[in-house]
Amino acid sequence: MDNQDIALMAHLLRRAGFGASRDEIEAKAAQGYQATVEELLNPEGQPGVEEDLLMRYQPAYNEPAAIETNVQQWVYYMINNPRQLQEKMALFWHMIFCAGHSKIDSGQEMGVMIRMFREHGMGNFKELLKRLSTSPGMVYYLDNSESHKTAVNENYGRELLELFSMGVGKDDAFNYSEDDVKACARAFTGWNIAPAFPPFPYGRSPWEFRFDPTDHDDSEKSFLGNVGHWNGDDVLDMLASQPATARFVARHLYNFFVADEVPVPSWRLVPPKDTKAIADMEKAYFDSHYDIRAMLKVLFNSSFFKSEAVRYAKVKSPAEMVAGLMRMVGEHREIKPGIFEISQEPKYMGMDLMNPPTVEGWHTGHEWIDSGTLVERINFAAQHLGNTQLPGVKSMVDRLMASRSAPLSPEQFVDGCLDLVGPLDVAAETHRELVNHAQRGGEAKHRTAAEKTDFTRRAGEMFQMIAATAEFQFA
Amino acid sequence: MSTHFFGIKDRVFGYSHTVGRNEFAGTGFRNPVDFALGADDVVYVLNRSYENRPDGVRVTVCTLSEEYISEFGSYGEGDGKFMWASAIAVGDKEQLYIADEWLNRISVFTKDGEFVRQWGKAGKGNGELDRPAGLAISPEGVLFVTDSRNHRVQKFTLDGKYLGKFGSFGDGQGQLNMPWGIALDKAGLVYVADWRNNRIQQFTAAGQWQASFGRTGSGVGEFNRPTGVAVDGDGDIYVADWMNDRVQVLSKDGRFITQFTGDNVISQWGKDKLVSNPDMIRQRQIAQAHSTDFDKKFSHPCAVRVDDKGHIVVLDHTRGRLQVYQKSREAVLV
Repeated sequence: MDNQDIALMAHLLRRAGFGASRDEIEAKAAQGYQATVEELLNPEGQPGVEEDLLMRYQPAYNEPAAIETNVQQWVYYMINNPRQLQEKMALFWHMIFCAGHSKIDSGQEMGVMIRMFREHGMGNFKELLKRLSTSPGMVYYLDNSESHKTAVNENYGRELLELFSMGVGKDDAFNYSEDDVKACARAFTGWNIAPAFPPFPYGRSPWEFRFDPTDHDDSEKSFLGNVGHWNGDDVLDMLASQPATARFVARHLYNFFVADEVPVPSWRLVPPKDTKAIADMEKAYFDSHYDIRAMLKVLFNSSFFKSEAVRYAKVKSPAEMVAGLMRMVGEHREIKPGIFEISQEPKYMGMDLMNPPTVEGWHTGHEWIDSGTLVERINFAAQHLGNTQLPGVKSMVDRLMASRSAPLSPEQFVDGCLDLVGPLDVAAETHRELVNHAQRGGEAKHRTAAEKTDFTRRAGEMFQMIAATAEFQFA
Repeated sequence: MSTHFFGIKDRVFGYSHTVGRNEFAGTGFRNPVDFALGADDVVYVLNRSYENRPDGVRVTVCTLSEEYISEFGSYGEGDGKFMWASAIAVGDKEQLYIADEWLNRISVFTKDGEFVRQWGKAGKGNGELDRPAGLAISPEGVLFVTDSRNHRVQKFTLDGKYLGKFGSFGDGQGQLNMPWGIALDKAGLVYVADWRNNRIQQFTAAGQWQASFGRTGSGVGEFNRPTGVAVDGDGDIYVADWMNDRVQVLSKDGRFITQFTGDNVISQWGKDKLVSNPDMIRQRQIAQAHSTDFDKKFSHPCAVRVDDKGHIVVLDHTRGRLQVYQKSREAVLV
C-alpha cells in the first residue's frame, strides 16, 4: 500500500477521530479516503457502542450520578465508539459550549450534555443552539435560571453572542452591541429548569427544561437592528443567519481540525489564517442552511486539510493523547476494570473533562504543554507504548519483524518504529539520537526465539523513546 | 354488572413497602446487582458499586422489614473480595455463594460473612467459566451457574465439582445468548433469563428444553434484556425486564398476568437520611409536585425473588432499593 495513502489516512483518523491502530489505518486506507470521509460524516450507517453490554458490565453508567463515572463513560466512548467523528464533535462542542461540573454539581447533567453534543453535534447549527439553550445544565451554568422578567441576568445572553455564536467581531468591526446583549438576555427570560429530586435518598432525577411564560419578558426588543417581541427562538433564528456566526463556526472548525488559530478574543482584529478555507466553509454553512456536516465535508475533502504542512502541526489535547494512545496500543478496547484510572489521565495532563476552567474553555495549542503536563504525557505514553504485551504494541512488533526477513539495521529499525506509531517524521537530530541508541544493540535480528524476545524488548524500548519525542506530542 | 378476569381470578398483587436507599456503607445499597432471601426474612444484597467508589462494594445484610444486620466483603482480587460481583445464592446451612464475573470465580461465605472458600477458572472447557452471571441452588445441593459468555448453564456441586452443562450460543430453542438470571421452581424446572435473546427459557434440571416465553419489545409479554427471573409456588413467573424498567408476571404457561413498574413510598432508611437534610426534604417536596413518577418507578430492576409468604421482592438497581410486593388470594381494595 502506498505510504502516502497511509500517512493521509492516519492524519484523517487522528483529526476526525482519536487515531487508530496501524491495522485499522491500513483497512481504512484500502477502503479509500473519500469513502472513509463519508463514513465518518454519516455515523448512523455504522453500529455504535453496544450500550446494553456497557450497562451490563458497568451498571453505574445508567443515570450515572458521579462526575467521575460520567467522565469514565465518555472516555470509554472516545476509545471505542466506532462513530469516531461523532465522538470528536462531542469534544469539539464541549470545548466551545463550555459548562462545568464545578458549578453544575451534577455529573449526570454533564453526561447528558455530552450525549447531546454526540448525537446532534454534526446537525443543524440553529437546532444545536436551541438544544444548548434548553440544556438544563447550561441554563444553570450560565445563570439563566436566575434570569427573570423582573430581574434579568445577562450572563447567558452575553455568552451566547460572544462565545457560542457570533463572537465579538470580525474584519475589525464589532458584531453586536451592549444593547443587543441586554435584548438577548430579556428574550431568554423564562427559559428555566423544572424542580428536580435531590440526590438523597434515591438519586437525582434528570433535570428538565421548562419554559415559564409568566417569567418571560414579552415586551418589544431591538436585537441586531430588528424590532419585535422577540423570544429566545427568534434570537436563535437571527443568530444562525448572521455572516458572523458562519465565520465563527468556520474558524472554530479550522482551529480544531486543521491548524491552530489565534485565541478567540483576537478574532475581531486578526483575520483567519486561511481566508479561502474559511470562506469555503462559510459558503457551505449558508448553502446547507446551517448544517455542520456540510461544513465538515468541505473541510475533510479540502486541500488545506490534506496538506502535509498541517500534519503533526497541532499539539494533541490531553483527551486526544489518552484516547488516541489507547486506540493505538489496543488497551481498553473492551469493557474491563481500570477505565477509571485511564479516564483521570486527561485531568493530570491539564484537561479536566466536563469541568473546563471557565466558560472560555481551555487554552489549547502549545499551552497544553508545561513542565508538569509534559512529564505526565511522556510517562503515560511511554508506559503503554513500552508494554509489548498490549495487543496493539504486539501487533506493531510483529509487523516490524515481518517487514524484513533479514536483520534490520539500526536505521531500518528506527524508521520502522517511527512508521508504525505514525507514520511520524522526526527532526534530524532526534532521528540521529534514536539511531544512536539503536546502534548500541546492533542489528535487530528475529530469527530464533531468543532473538525475537530481544527484538521485542528493543522495539518496546524504542517506542518508549519515540513517546518522549517532541513530535509525538503533535497530532 | 359483569367482571372480567380473563382467567386470572384467584390472585392479586399489591405494593407493600420499600427497603433501603442509595448508600456506600451501612444502611443502604449502591448499584446492587443481585440479592438472596434467607431464613427469617433476612436479605443479602450484593452491591457492585463502581470503580471510583470501591468502598461501596460489599454485601449488605438486613431484613425485609428494614432492620440492618451487618455487611461484609470489599473490592479487590484477594480471598473474599469482589471485582465485578454479579450474583448471590443461599445454599445449605445458609452459606452464601457469590459469583464474580471478572474474576470468573465463585466465593463461599458463612451467613455471617466469613469467607469459606472459592473456586473457578476462566475458560471455555467443562467447569470453566467466562463471566458467571446468575446462580441458583436446588434443594439437592446442585449449583446452577449461567456462564454468560460461554452461552450456557453449568451445574456444579456446592464445593465446585463439575456436574454438567446445557445450552450453546444461538437463538434457537434451548440456545442462549449471554444468559443472566436463573431460577428453579418447586418441581425442579430451570428458568433462564436469556438476556440478549429477550426471552425466558425453561429447561429440565438435566437441560432438556421445555418452553420459551417472550420476544423482543416493550409490549405485553415482550422483553428488553431480561435480567432476573423467579417462580413462586403457584408456578407464576416473575421477570425483571431490565431495560423496560418493569417486572412482568407470567402464568406458568407464559401468559401475561400483570406488571409492576414501581410504586415506591419512601423507606425508613430513606426518611432517616432526609431528616438530617431539611433542604433536601424541601427540594423533594417541590419536585414531587412536578413529577410524581420519578420517585416511584423502577430504574433498571435487575433481580426479582419470591418467598413462601407471598412476597415478591424487586431489586431496583439505580435507585438502590428493594421494592416489596405482596401476592394475595384475597381481593384487596387499593
